[in-house]
Parts: sequence; C-alpha cells; structure tokens
Amino acid sequence: MSVTTETLTTAPAQPSSPEPVRRGRPVTSTAALIGKKVLGALFVIWAAASITFLIQSLLPGDRATLLLNQQTGQVQERSAEELAPINEQFGFDDPLLVQYVTFLGGLLRGDLGISYTLYQPVTTVIGDQIVPTLVLTFTALAVAWALAIVLLLLTARRAPWVSRIFSGLESAAAALPQYWLGIILLVVFSLWLGLFPVVSGSGTAGLVLPALTLGIPLAGFLAQVMRAEFERTMDEPFVLTARARGMSDGGVRLRHVLRHSLLPGLSLTGWAVGAQFSAAVIAENVFARPGLGRVLVTAVNGRDLPVVCGVVMLVALVYVITNLIVDTAYILVDPRLKEAA
Amino acid sequence: MNTPPSPNAPENRPVSAWQTATTTASSRARRRPGALTAGIALAVGSALVLSACSSGTAGPQEQAALTGSATEPVQGGVLEYGHLQEPNCIFGGWIQENFTARQVLDNLVSATEDGSVVPWIATDWEVSEDQLVWTLTLRDDVHFTDGTPLDAEAVAYNFDYWMDGGNGTAAAHLGGFYDHSEVVDADTVEIHLSAPFAPFLSTLSQSYFGLQSPTALQTRTVEENCTEPIGSGPFTVKDWKRGEYIEFERNEDYDWAPENARHQGPAYLEGIRWNIVPDGTSRYGSLLAGEMDAIGEVPAVNIAEARQRYDFTQYITPGRPVVINLNTERGIFTDQAVRQALSHATDREANIESAFLGTVPFEPSGYLSQSTPGYDADAAQQYPFDLEKANELLDGAGWTGRAEDGTRIKDGQRLQVKIVYGLNTIVTPDGNTAIQNFQEQARAAGFDIELRPLTPSENFSGAYSTPDSYDGSVGYWTSPHAGILNINYRPSTEEAPNGANTTFLDNEEVFTTIQQALQAPTDAEVTATFSEAQYQLSELAPAIGLYTQTNTLAVSDRVSGLWLEPAQGGPIFHDAHFTSEEARDSSQGFSAANAENEG
Repeated sequence: MSVTTETLTTAPAQPSSPEPVRRGRPVTSTAALIGKKVLGALFVIWAAASITFLIQSLLPGDRATLLLNQQTGQVQERSAEELAPINEQFGFDDPLLVQYVTFLGGLLRGDLGISYTLYQPVTTVIGDQIVPTLVLTFTALAVAWALAIVLLLLTARRAPWVSRIFSGLESAAAALPQYWLGIILLVVFSLWLGLFPVVSGSGTAGLVLPALTLGIPLAGFLAQVMRAEFERTMDEPFVLTARARGMSDGGVRLRHVLRHSLLPGLSLTGWAVGAQFSAAVIAENVFARPGLGRVLVTAVNGRDLPVVCGVVMLVALVYVITNLIVDTAYILVDPRLKEAA
Repeated sequence: MNTPPSPNAPENRPVSAWQTATTTASSRARRRPGALTAGIALAVGSALVLSACSSGTAGPQEQAALTGSATEPVQGGVLEYGHLQEPNCIFGGWIQENFTARQVLDNLVSATEDGSVVPWIATDWEVSEDQLVWTLTLRDDVHFTDGTPLDAEAVAYNFDYWMDGGNGTAAAHLGGFYDHSEVVDADTVEIHLSAPFAPFLSTLSQSYFGLQSPTALQTRTVEENCTEPIGSGPFTVKDWKRGEYIEFERNEDYDWAPENARHQGPAYLEGIRWNIVPDGTSRYGSLLAGEMDAIGEVPAVNIAEARQRYDFTQYITPGRPVVINLNTERGIFTDQAVRQALSHATDREANIESAFLGTVPFEPSGYLSQSTPGYDADAAQQYPFDLEKANELLDGAGWTGRAEDGTRIKDGQRLQVKIVYGLNTIVTPDGNTAIQNFQEQARAAGFDIELRPLTPSENFSGAYSTPDSYDGSVGYWTSPHAGILNINYRPSTEEAPNGANTTFLDNEEVFTTIQQALQAPTDAEVTATFSEAQYQLSELAPAIGLYTQTNTLAVSDRVSGLWLEPAQGGPIFHDAHFTSEEARDSSQGFSAANAENEG
C-alpha cells in the first residue's frame, strides 16, 4: 500500500492549489481554515485587479487619444484641446496613485466603473454576458470529462494496439487548434448535415458544437494525464486482489482503478476552467455566440480599463472557486487525504 | 476568416452605391426595369391610400387591402440579417455605428447614385450669394418616436450637438466651416457657415448627421441614447443582446422616407434582427443554411459563388481609398523624387488582383477612390508600373550605391523605410497580403521596406501617428465627396492642428486649390478645381493608392427590396419585404423572451 499512497500524494502537484492537505501542524478549526481560504482568495483577486490596472495604465500610447480615435474611427494625433474634456471626464491626468486609489475605492463599494466605450456600468456589461460564458465553459468541461472517462474505461490497458491507437488519438485531440476544429464541426454538422444551427446564439441546440469545439481538445488532455495513472494502477496488487475476489473487469476499472486516475484529471481541471474562459472567444466568434471572451478581447483592444479589470477579476474569482472545489473533490475521491489533514 | 475581426475596429468604412457599385447590372434587383415599375406603381398606390384615408388611421394591413394590387409586397415578418462587426452605440462616429443609425434616424437629405442629393426631412434648400448661409425648408409633419416634433428648433439643436462632441466624425467634416444655426420659423432653419463649403448637402447625407430627438438628448442618460437613440426613422431599437443581435421594430407612424426610397409609408417588415456574426465562414454559411435572409461583408473566397446564387451587390466606398501615406516631413520620403520612384516601382494592379482574387478593384489614385464624385481618372494614372523610371529617379536623387542585398545606398545610408498599419482593423488579411507583395516588389528598385503591423490598441492610441514614428502609414477615410482632400491635406498649424494630415504635407498651392474647389460657385467648377488639386497632389506624390474599400451585400430569394444607400453603403431595410407569405411565415419573428415581455 505504501506505493499507492505515495502516488496519490504526489499526484496533485498543481501550482494553483495551495496543497490544502499535508501540513506539519494540525489545523485548529474548520472556521480558521475557511477564513484563510477567503483571505487567500481576496488577495488573489486584489492582485489580479492591481496588475491589470497597472499594465493598462502604463502601456505606451495615450488613452484619451485612443478613446477619441475609436469614437471617430481614425488613427491620428490629437491636440491637447481635443483631449482635455476626455482627460477631465476619466481623470487620466491625475497622478497614477490617485487613479489607483479611486479605482480601489470603487472596487470596495462594489462599483466597477463605467465602460469607456459602451457607456454602460461594467457590472451590466458582465452581467449580460456571464451566463452564456459559464454555460459554455462548464458544458465543455462536462463533455471533456465524459469523453475522457469513457475512453479510458474502454481502451486503457487493452490489447497493445488498441491502447496505442487511442492514446495517439488523445494526443491528436489535445493538439487540435480550436479554431480549425470549430470550423470543421460547423461545416460538417451545420452546413452539410444541417443538424445544428450555424449561428448558435444563446439557444440550447446552439450549445452542442461550441461545447465540442472546446471539449474535444480538453478531453484529449484529460485522458492523456489520466491514462498514465490508470495504466499504472492496473498493475497494482490490489487490482489483482479484486480480480481474485471474482470482480469483473469492468467493475475493477470503474470502482477501483478509475478513482485513482481521477486525481491528475482534477488537477488539470483547476487550470482548464480558466483556460476555457480565454478559449471561449474562439468558439464565440466561430459560432456567433455572445459571451465574455468577445467582451474581453474588444475591451483589451480598446483599452477599456474598467471592463478589462472587471473581467480579469471575475476570471480570478472563478479560478479561486474552482480550485477550492477541486481541493474538496480530492478529499471526496481519496478519503485518506482528510485524515492526513 | 480572420478570427477576431476586432469588433471595435473603427473602420471608417462607408459604402455607397452610385458610383460603381454594381459589378453586374443584372445582379441588382432594384435596377431591373420590372422592379422599377413595381416601385412606381407602389408609390402611386400609397399616394391614393393617403388621400383616401386622410385621418391617417389606416394600418399597413388596411393599406394593403385597399390597394389590393398583385404587386403589393408581403407585409410583416422579421428579416434575419448577418453583419460582421458590432457597434459600440447605435449612433456614433464609427462607420459601424452609421449602419445601425441609418435604421433609426432620418437625415436632412438623402444621397443618390450620381452624387447629388434629394429631399428627405428638408424639402427645399437655398444658399446665399456668398455661400455662407444655407436656408433649409423642412417637412412640417415629422415627429420623433417620443412625440417631439422634428422642426427647425430640433435641427438647430442637432447641429450644435454634433459639433459639441456629440459626433466626432461629424465635427471633423464641418469643423472650421460651421458657425451657428438660426431658427427662422417652425419649418425653416438657417445654417451659418464661417467659410463656403460646396459639399455641404452631400456631407449631411451621411448618418453621422442623423437627427435625434432633442428631448431624448436632454433628458436621458448617455447610456440610453447610446443603446436606444430616439429618432424619426423607419425603425426603432427594440432590443439589443450584446454579442448576439440587435432587434429593430417597425415605426408604424413612418411616412417621410427620402425621395429616393422605393416606397413611402411604414416599412413592410415587422422588424429586422441584426445578427452579429464575426466569422466569415459562419456568416456565409448561415446564408447558405437559410438562417439568414441577407448578409453583409461576403468573404472574398465566396464572392464568385455569391454572385451566382444570390442577389449580390458590391459598393465601392468613396473618399480616400486604402493608400500608403508617405511622411513628407521627416526621413527619406521628404525627397519628392523618392516618393515618385516608389510610386512607379511596383505593379500595383497585378498585386491587388492577386491578393483579393479579383474581387476588389485596384485604385491607382492615392487621394480619391474611383467612386468619389470629382474623381479624375487621368490624374490617378500618373504612376504606372515602370521600374526603369523608378531607377532613373532614384539615381537622380543620389541613391546610387548598392548594398550586398541590393538595397540602394546614399552617403552610407540605406534606402530603408518603415511602413505601419493597423492589421485587422484598417487593413484586412487580404490587404495585408497586398502590402507584403508591395514590400517584396519594391526590392527590385532597391527599397528595403520594413512592415510594422499594429495592434488595435497601438494603432488608435496615437503612438504611431507622429512624424517621427513612421515613413509610411496605411489608411483610408470614407467621404461621399472630394472635400475629403481638405480633411487630409490641410496643413497642420499651431492654432489649428490637423492630425488627419497623415502625410504631413504642407503645401500652400494644394491647400489653396482645395479651398477654391470648396468655394467654387458651380458644380462644374467644383469638379474642375478638384481635378486640378488631384494633378497637383499627383505631382507631389505624398501617397500611393492600393485598393478601394468595398462593402458587399448578398440577399436570398426569400426577401427582396434591400439596397445599399449611396452615401456610405449601409443596408436599407425600409423597402425590404418577404417575397412570399410562406417565406414570411417561416421567419422566426422576434425572440420569444421579448414577446412575453410585451404581454
């Protein structure tokens, strides 16, 4: 058993989750633990917001010029006279520290500011777009997990050529460029077969292809990291024991081996949720879906600072929450981790 | 096919139709004699209806019943339109915002295909002897959709609003000319200029000059006026799901379409769903799959097929075409001979033909596009591909040495220049290919061109707009008249800086000629003087023409009556209708959520 324990504790070696389990001293209480987690989360969000603010403010080029040029569709120098009202309105002339304090003060009051280009409160901009993005992200995640698990159960540690072919397919899937995959899915399933709408919008039927576009490459990643663990576990003595008890091959795979291989997949998921947020823009463009990805790209191009900061903080928040969930899931998957904590 | 076509790329991309536009005359439904006759029959029909029901209560259905002719277009239905880029606001200074503004707002005058204007809200106009006062007579029966009358007071208010920051592009057009407005009586307004401006009316036909309700502008928030401006146009904004679609709903009271509209009275359609479909494959695919009834910006690879399958229109944007502006203030291009040499050095025509698969016209002129009224084709042709001439000019200018890589050298300095351009904002991926071809071809004459594509944020923040930041810069600027030369070539001064002068040309003679053209008393003299200005510019060679900015529209046979308006090429839906009741009944209608809201 010592071998297995070691594998389990080293497996969740992902950087974003601060290893909640193995500490030298006993944790005083659950409340303290939660308090620490919340503080940590707040720190991450504050840091994300501050870094975004600094980068957006310090990038070369003048922000007032940018806004004015965007409003008129031109690329040119602007006179001080033209820029004065914009600088006045958005406070671009204030010392950076003053701008930062104003910005932080707004954050504390829950005021994310007003978009420079859309004239809407950032909370409205994000609120309008967050649901389609979350739906897409988590559907894609579910698709990826389902595909990966089915693949593993059916093909890992089978006849060598079966394992090899599917392992190769997983690598290929993981390497698929999402834009290309999206276009192929669109052409085949929407244009040739007419099974799904071309313009997805936010409807349910329109969710399938975008979710596959994001889910298939992720499934390749997930299956790859879990396959190694799965195949190693198949060689463990306890598998032999289970078989000796007369358990079927399917039962062994599903009830014993799969559990072991879930942990690396969970680690990867913590990262994948954030990555899906940024990959979403590709699916959104190809399938004409609304969502935060497009909002973010537009805002970055236009240096719409309030919107960029709002979205970045939201993504940071999603990361933090996902990793909390992943940490909890570890304990559910492997109860020994709880005792260790 | 460009992945993120940068939704906020403020492409100034108007689109019009008169000058050119149709690639094949037969491809345009509205040009067909049959369609024309129907249009006339209709106009007569609705006039009859008007006199018959002077109470004005007849709804569209009743009108249809009254006229009852077989040619009466199908009423109702929501048309699905697929569009490349999403605007920030419905009305604004960006061309994308003009396309949407045109659905909701009316203008004083409407542009026609020959470059003249016809009555719209203004029924008549007169200019004073000194060309400084324009007196506009307005229709007396127009109101905004909030009930505010569209009268002289409202027009005067709008002029001041545009010029005081309400629309930066409107201000760029009339800045330096507009002085003030005076209300004479309810239906008469005087616009006072500080200097004569011949293309005044043509300027007003652009949707930057769309009229909004002064009540709405004064009492509502900036956000409300951004997402749902109140105009008097054929449609109102019903709903806007950002990232997905904008829904426009018919204005049932509408009875003041421009004189060149195909019919008077409310729109035939119940509404339009203006879908944002950024990806080219998806946009064209959605038309193929029948999800869209019409799309804009047909991808170049699909244009040949679209011409066969659909009612296809291409609009060539007037104004400044896509050109390389050469920095005449600093660096290598301060020498006129070097500018001329580069103009001769490459086969631009073959280059554009190959880069755009023959779908976009080559534009030899660096100053005006071929669809601009007053364009001088001969002046545009001064720099045909002539490598020998280019070499002679460079030898004469002292660039006689050659480095190992073939680049010319003068006094130890290489003939090396930097050209900057906004990729995917100003320049499309096909345009990028053309610029790379240009770079490659110019090597033969000994030019070493460094290309510097800019991100949207770099591009618009002005970091690459100063005289010390580039030798060449690629840009275009749409305008329905040759007066664009005044915007692009007015020398920048201390008191009146002109950032739009991106060649930094400071030439008194050209400037004077342009001013004379703007002030010329007759159309013929305006054209002749603008011709002179084009010859003068051509000699100075501060810019090199590449291709025209175009706009395309492909329409399925389920609908008919769409057209691209000539000032900027925006799609007009007021005259559009489904071709059969079946087609209409298979359309989706407004989204369910809205229907519920309405109860």
